[in-house]
Amino acid sequence: MEQQDRIMDGDLQTLGLQSILKMLALSGKTGTLFVHSGPETLSISLRKGQIVALREEGVPQPDLLVMLCLVNKLDPQRAQKVREYAGDNTQVALAMLVERNWMSPSEMQRRLEFAVTQSISHALRWVDGRFAFHRQLVPMENRMQALDIDSTLLEALRQADEWEEMGETHLTRTAVARWLPEIHNDVRSLGLGQEYIEVLCLSNGEIPLQAIALVLMTPEARVARIMTRLLELRLIEIVDTALENEVQQDLSNLIIKCQTILTRKQQSSNPEQHLLGLVTILSDCINGLLAHHSRYAKSLRGRGQIPYPDVIRYLERRFSNQFQLLSQQQYPILETIEFTNGRLDCTSILTLDKLVKGERLEEFYWEAVLGLAAFLRMVFAELLRDEMGNSHTGRNLNFAWKAFLTEIDQEIHQYQIYRAQRSAQLTRGRDAAQPAPMGIIQDWNHVPDNEGGPYRSPESRRRLN
Amino acid sequence: MAEPTVLVVDDSPTVRKIVQMTLQREHIRVITAGDGLSALTSVADEMPALILLDIQLPRMDGYHICQIIRKNLQFRQIPIIMLSGKDGLFDKMRGRLAGSTEYLTKPFDSAELVRTVKKHLVNWQERMPPQHEGIRTRLRRRG
Repeated sequence: MEQQDRIMDGDLQTLGLQSILKMLALSGKTGTLFVHSGPETLSISLRKGQIVALREEGVPQPDLLVMLCLVNKLDPQRAQKVREYAGDNTQVALAMLVERNWMSPSEMQRRLEFAVTQSISHALRWVDGRFAFHRQLVPMENRMQALDIDSTLLEALRQADEWEEMGETHLTRTAVARWLPEIHNDVRSLGLGQEYIEVLCLSNGEIPLQAIALVLMTPEARVARIMTRLLELRLIEIVDTALENEVQQDLSNLIIKCQTILTRKQQSSNPEQHLLGLVTILSDCINGLLAHHSRYAKSLRGRGQIPYPDVIRYLERRFSNQFQLLSQQQYPILETIEFTNGRLDCTSILTLDKLVKGERLEEFYWEAVLGLAAFLRMVFAELLRDEMGNSHTGRNLNFAWKAFLTEIDQEIHQYQIYRAQRSAQLTRGRDAAQPAPMGIIQDWNHVPDNEGGPYRSPESRRRLN
Repeated sequence: MAEPTVLVVDDSPTVRKIVQMTLQREHIRVITAGDGLSALTSVADEMPALILLDIQLPRMDGYHICQIIRKNLQFRQIPIIMLSGKDGLFDKMRGRLAGSTEYLTKPFDSAELVRTVKKHLVNWQERMPPQHEGIRTRLRRRG
């Protein structure tokens, strides 16, 4: 915008937003008022002293269609149709909803008015910042009937006062809440009102408080109060984005490390070594996850430096029962593995070749691989549920984890095929060559593809080339 | 401002997903390819601002892909970061000779990945004049 178009500017400490708007309304000005505070900017378009459009920058723009679906005010299929045309443009989306008779024109007007009032109410609380009024109108998407500044200001001030009256609260308008993973009570039995249920429905770990207020057309202070109550009832928790970022980074590094080792271990020369490699990877991965959980478990967070014995006790309490059950009921070989100091000690498996040889050794390794793979799944599922709950990050990490498990499963599956073919050969007695001594295939890397056990997947063979 | 697009080429779905997740958090659009030929198709279709390229790939290895991209006038400016489990000097030299911009050794650290990608995304828009837009981008714009 050109410098000469600016007809007024200053700082908010000298002249507050309320006074500026009143002054512009009284003089019936046309133009755009820009208000900046920190990373946030509000642009208000005025025509003859009335608000015709408003744009808020520096605040994540909520997806209105998704939110309307979450509170059962819009059918997801209809939302999809609207999205195909409107994209991310809320104003166009609203206009389309009206055009198709899926929303009344008066509701659209109320929604647009509420959005303007909410943004102004927020900006009225800014202490530091600058403003500038330009005589040019900035082109903005505008489907709203012009708003009278006085009545808008009155409602915005009321909402701002309501927020101030809340006093000390740890909730901000950008606070994101999500359902707690363990809700044992039937929510209906709690006797929550409609508003509470709607806020609960929108607390999916992605929508900020300000957006919930917008879709419900309820003042932010009221939504904050509802959230506080839901927190007290232990129905929701507040998402800590910084922490989630840290957890994601830590788990991503661990998964990438294990995946790289998995790729390298594929170059082993015989099935025993390959299984042993898998045992090492699986146990390293489990220990990595346990070490990660000792830093990020929900009940250990925010307690400062915790004595290490306490951390170990926590990990053992959480996982050792599952491990014991697994070893007693399905994979007895796991009984040789010790769960001490909050980690698995697989030395006995890794040195098993000193006690057992040949086919028996391979059997033990195979059982250990299956048992550890099962335990690995248990540990990750438990850990993710505890640390991330229903969050977007949690779901993303789960996808990455499933991809990694698929790679491990491919290795396990290839070994199963090899075993099946080897046993079929032995049964039929068709193998012209001498059977491999004690179950070890000679010349591991040159096992034919079609006969004699294609142990390696095409993927593994390619990686070896 | 538009988000830059990064193409991640790796045969491991785990690596693809982790890199995608990590970069998306930084508001970077990520597209993926699991083999060499799909990678070249994606380069032509999307004209990414940066390519993260694994060396060992099915159908065509990373060195070869890198050479093809560097020989193409339209795409030669795209920074290519090689991702590899091999950390020998010879491998790094080979990557450099093929035309890679940087070499990251697996297992890489997420923070290091973000730093490296961001370093090479500085001024990415200047490297991409409008006439160099990928086919799909042009179609999207028209649609």
